[in-house]
Amino acid sequence: MNRFLLAVLGAGVLLAQPVEFNRDIRPILSDRCFACHGPDAGNRKSLLRLDSELEAKKDLRNGRFGVVPGDPAKSGIYQRVTSANNALRMPPQYAGHAALPARDIDVLKRWIEQGAPWQAHWSFVAPNRPVSHNSVDGFVRARLEREGLKQNAPARPETLLRRVYLDLTGLPPTPAEVDSFLRDPASYENVVDKLLASDAHAERMALRWLDAARYADTNGYQSDGVRDMWRWRDWVIDAFRANMPFDKFTVEQIAGDLLPNATLQQKIATGFHRNHRTNAEGGIVEEEFRVEYVADRVETTSTVWLGLTMGCTRCHDHKYDPLRQRDFYSMFAFYNNVPERGLVYNFGNDEPMIKAPTPTMATRLAALDASLDDTKKTWADWAPKLAVEQKKWEKKARKAKTDWAVPQGLVYSNLSTELKFEGKNGFDAGDKAKFNYMTPYSFSVWIKPESGTGAILSRMEDYWEGSGYGLYLKNGNVHFVATLRYTDISMRLETTEKVRLGQWQHIAFTYDGNRKTKGIRIWIDGKPANIKSTFDELTYPFSPKVPFMIGSGGGLRFHGAIRDVRVYDRALTEEEALSTFVTEPLAAVAAMPDAKRSEPQKAKLHLAFLDLAMNAKARAALAARDKAQAERDKYYATIPTVMVMQEGPKRQAYILKRGAYDAHGEPVEAATPAFLPPMKPDWPKNRLGLAYWLVDRANPLTARVQVNRTWQLFFGQGLVKTVEDFGSQGEWPVHLDLLDWLAVEFMDRGWDQRALEKLIVMSDTYRQSSAAPPDSWQRDPENRLFARGPRVRLAAPFVRDQALAASGLLVNKIGGPSVKPYQPAGLWQELSGGGGYKEDTGEGLYRRSLYTYWKRTVAPPMMVNFDAPTREGCIVRETRTNTPLQALNLMNDVAFLEAARKIGERMMREGGPDAASRVAFGWRLVLARAPKSVEKVSLLRVYDRFLARFKHDLASSEAYLKQGESPRDPSLDPAELAAASSVASLILNLDEAVTKD
Amino acid sequence: MHPVNEYFQRLTRRHLLGRAATGLGAAALGSLLGAESQTAPHFAPKAKRVIYLFQSGGPSQMELFDYKPRLVDKYKTELPESIRMGQRLTGMSATQSTFPVVPARFQFAQHGQNGAWVSELLPHIAQITDKIAIVKSMFTEAINHDPAVTFLQTGSQIAGRPSIGSWMVYGLGAEAKNLPGFVVMISPGQGGSGQPLYDRLWGSGFLPTRYQGVKFRSVGDPVLYLRDPEGFSREDRRAYLDTLGELNQAKAAELGDPEIATRIAQYEMAFQMQSSVPELVDLSKEPAAVVDSYGPDARKAGTFAYNCLMARRLAERGVRFIQLYHRDWDHHGGLQDGLPKRCKETDQPAAALVRDLEQRGMLDDTLVLWGGEFGRTVYCQGRLTEKDYGRDHHPRCFTMWMAGGGVKPGLILGETDDYSYNITADPVHVHDLQATIMHLMGVDHTRLTYRFAGRYFRLTDVHGNVAKKLLA
Repeated sequence: MNRFLLAVLGAGVLLAQPVEFNRDIRPILSDRCFACHGPDAGNRKSLLRLDSELEAKKDLRNGRFGVVPGDPAKSGIYQRVTSANNALRMPPQYAGHAALPARDIDVLKRWIEQGAPWQAHWSFVAPNRPVSHNSVDGFVRARLEREGLKQNAPARPETLLRRVYLDLTGLPPTPAEVDSFLRDPASYENVVDKLLASDAHAERMALRWLDAARYADTNGYQSDGVRDMWRWRDWVIDAFRANMPFDKFTVEQIAGDLLPNATLQQKIATGFHRNHRTNAEGGIVEEEFRVEYVADRVETTSTVWLGLTMGCTRCHDHKYDPLRQRDFYSMFAFYNNVPERGLVYNFGNDEPMIKAPTPTMATRLAALDASLDDTKKTWADWAPKLAVEQKKWEKKARKAKTDWAVPQGLVYSNLSTELKFEGKNGFDAGDKAKFNYMTPYSFSVWIKPESGTGAILSRMEDYWEGSGYGLYLKNGNVHFVATLRYTDISMRLETTEKVRLGQWQHIAFTYDGNRKTKGIRIWIDGKPANIKSTFDELTYPFSPKVPFMIGSGGGLRFHGAIRDVRVYDRALTEEEALSTFVTEPLAAVAAMPDAKRSEPQKAKLHLAFLDLAMNAKARAALAARDKAQAERDKYYATIPTVMVMQEGPKRQAYILKRGAYDAHGEPVEAATPAFLPPMKPDWPKNRLGLAYWLVDRANPLTARVQVNRTWQLFFGQGLVKTVEDFGSQGEWPVHLDLLDWLAVEFMDRGWDQRALEKLIVMSDTYRQSSAAPPDSWQRDPENRLFARGPRVRLAAPFVRDQALAASGLLVNKIGGPSVKPYQPAGLWQELSGGGGYKEDTGEGLYRRSLYTYWKRTVAPPMMVNFDAPTREGCIVRETRTNTPLQALNLMNDVAFLEAARKIGERMMREGGPDAASRVAFGWRLVLARAPKSVEKVSLLRVYDRFLARFKHDLASSEAYLKQGESPRDPSLDPAELAAASSVASLILNLDEAVTKD
Repeated sequence: MHPVNEYFQRLTRRHLLGRAATGLGAAALGSLLGAESQTAPHFAPKAKRVIYLFQSGGPSQMELFDYKPRLVDKYKTELPESIRMGQRLTGMSATQSTFPVVPARFQFAQHGQNGAWVSELLPHIAQITDKIAIVKSMFTEAINHDPAVTFLQTGSQIAGRPSIGSWMVYGLGAEAKNLPGFVVMISPGQGGSGQPLYDRLWGSGFLPTRYQGVKFRSVGDPVLYLRDPEGFSREDRRAYLDTLGELNQAKAAELGDPEIATRIAQYEMAFQMQSSVPELVDLSKEPAAVVDSYGPDARKAGTFAYNCLMARRLAERGVRFIQLYHRDWDHHGGLQDGLPKRCKETDQPAAALVRDLEQRGMLDDTLVLWGGEFGRTVYCQGRLTEKDYGRDHHPRCFTMWMAGGGVKPGLILGETDDYSYNITADPVHVHDLQATIMHLMGVDHTRLTYRFAGRYFRLTDVHGNVAKKLLA
């Protein structure tokens, strides 16, 4: 890039300056030579290495040298790039490479003549504060002077105000804010301070961080199920609201969980590295994807903090930078111990995750917990009294005529004394016990097996690998299966105890409805059985299509007898489960001396007492406890979770050959890339140490990368345009000294993000006019030298947010679950079937785009049309295109038509008495400035045309005004409103409207 | 790349390619960049456009083209380890206790001069075997849908790279005057289920988003936001755009930013699309006999038949890359019932498309491809009964067919073993297929590159060989 500028801005500059290795030579070597003569040992084509001074200048063999300082004729590289012999010429023609252009050859020659001085790659050496200047403008002006250019005049106040509003908040100023600023343009700094402290600023800053963090509301692979990461998103907003220093911001997101006494907030912060896509597709090889997730974290970390393309080193040593494959897997080791799985749950978050109440929720939960504790205590206080009462009651109960069994939740019972099975037909109980994977349930059943294998109870297709659930005997063990697809989407377990053949035994079974085998308990004859989980991947619902069967299912048949089947639609408590084992009637148990009663008998008696005979006050106390528990549980279930990082047991990391998940090479330990300054010895060798290392002053990259990305927010591109690559293939910064100055300033000010932004927006460089004569655009089309102010199309979310704000529709509410604004019908179904997108009504339609629900496989179409990153992976570089689809989107999307209608209403209500003042008002709502007279003429002409046409055709006016859900102001004349709305739509479609001038 | 070229390319991308939609960009780019240009063609193309009939889910090769009569004797026998050779299986069948072989339960017959064996499920394709090349030896590396489709479309199993259509439009520019260069249409199988598809499959990855495929939808407007709002006529839109242009023009004069001129042009292009797209889908001028040749569904928007007819109309209008997806070929179970239905939905339209192109003299420079993301296993997955069986994903061999655009008609390429499990002759890897498609389009797959994140990327990564035997 720099060389291009020199080429364009005048070759004279080049001749006037000494050749500089990093600026002039390294890009040539990197681009044209390193692939074969660089860091990648596997691909090196000869002894010659050009990525290291020592190697390039050493005696290769027989007095042959790559570079001989001062002597091009003896330097191998010069000989070879100039060779007329195609067999010798480098880069090699036989490999399809073109020769170096004459300019590059000339620069190489002069560099060698000047002694071939080497420089370390600029970004790999820690920045020092440059002494030449001490302000953004100082560096920029000095450079412009060298190029014979001057800074532009300041932008007009209203242009500057709109610019700084859009840059700092993503929203335009209101006409009142413009007026107040026009009265006092000297208040600019106050405005900047106000904007920096605003919530809108925090939202605006969060947005780009979400792109970098690949944040989304769905998993991203195959059927793209939902997840809930909005608590992490809100953490980011909160961090920007508090202007959290970037070093802290980094440490908490990388390793907040490992900080001493980590707070809930610090744990939520680590959601950063759980935002990657996850796969819930049945049939995947788990390890393949688990490795993918870990690799994603390495690549994202290296892009976001280091500006390095470590992805290249997943399969081989880097071809351009001194990164080895070992470095990749050493970084990999930091992220390898998360207790996570490759195959994830498709309908919500997957482990590890935590409950993440908002402060409001935490308060409410604490209140519910407190009242639960109260009710528990009140209930517990009854215990001594009730014990006495029970004793009394037991005497009466000895004469009880009816038996008692747990009644609550009993949904099916078959109290036959004996159902006999001879391994043929089961007993069809009909459409009962229709449980799915997330519903709790319990069974109690007596069996007398004659064979160790057979089905006891089931709603399961009648073959072994069918779909449904089944309680079986297999080789004497009690066996349970709940499955959609046996081989990969199921939950399977067995008891280690065996049942005895030919004898009646009781089995109690409870399931808590949490789709994990750990939520299942089994008792055999009143004793808890030892459960061995054999498969635990019930990630999808199943819907049993067959009836509830006793004695058959899953291709198995019961041999023997079954009696007394009870099915509950809840998980029985242990006491309840035990009580189901008791066959003695209530009267008999009551008649027993207490010392003779077994635990299950005690349980039965106690439960029966509570159910039948407890006094009314105690009953109320129990009911109050149950109610408080239910309320607390119900509320607790609504509290969002967030996926977070945790350290599980160490998993050994290996170099993976060719990056393949199953091709283990050498084992490696967690370490930072070897060519960069090492971790300090007292830092832990885990993520926390990594986080400290990232924001250590000795790290040459992080501050520069963050400063550069911040610059991009304001100028549309970084000082290093390749914001994701600071390596030798990245762009050599146009303003290295400015970048370094900003980086040092940033660190010296305690990584203060707002201070950094203020430094930029307060500069004259930022405040210049972006209007420039054609030769300025031709000389420097991308404005790399800053001879004019930034002029950049708005990022997708702000195109929409601006329209919402100008129309008055915008709902200013911070955080919360993602919302579903307007989207053309059918987009989701078309790609993946199912229920599809359910648009919100009311406020969900008008929140800032930051909160728009992001389904990765079908990203919001307006966002995609306007170049928003798709959130598949980490994206830090801003891109902008200009397409007809954008035009259609802005003209015809209901979101923009509704906004235009509301702007139309504002024009009529607030814009003054006549058409001229009204169109001018609409113009100012969006563009901040007043229209010029020629612009007014155009606007009025088209307004009059629309007015005449809509007056003539009222049906069309009515139809045109139907866009969107918000009510229309009935007091306004429909033809006038339709005309005003049409003009408002036109204003929203102006190049100036979608651009920050 | 030479810095001056880089400058021009950047300038071009922002300021010239903006007009590429009007057919101007590619040529301008080519001439500006000279020999080292990223733009193709690199040599004379055989095909000017591609129609890719993607059968999503993985059609079973041995029920359709890969005839294995000897399997009948192996019914319900265990798949020999000598054939499986430790091949990794999907998580779905890896823990299956047995792997019983099941032969196709459909009849095969030989057709055409080449004597190609084709299943009774494909009676129309059976009639054009001399016009198409059948490749029985495709293979891939992925064993699940998402990675496998992504691999075929982008050359990588992990999403994020540009799709093949985006590469083609990036390299060759657009030919169509008022339609996008890369169009995608989707039809669900009437079974109503099937694997999901994703926008990223026609996404432009790290290429500028203008190269992404535009999905023509079957419900609502074919192109998102195409239709003007109710109550707003074409004349209104014209007046609106005239004023918009006037105001933008004035702004351009004031500021000097060439980007504004591009935006003006894009609004005009949008206006043109508002008529060209409805014209495209208006079948009133299409002869009834032609429509009928695509089968009974051809008038029903959203069917594969309708989309095949649209594909021809898009091809006529110069769209560079036309991709159809038909869903619901994923027959883990219910194959016996489901596969014939998918065939019925696709057989006649696909054959009609080839014939229709041929009759119009367009087959010579239009490359048609048909196939899924992988094949299916010879062993049964799930329940094996008289009326039902299923097959799991199988990456090691699957069948595709290709027609026109420089492909050798009547060719039958590749062989598989008796179990249709391993390839025994002429393997064609996914990257080879991609290299071959590009070759037919006049593009050297090793030379069409894009620099991103510090290195040059290409569709075929560092792999791929042109399948020379396929070339006419």
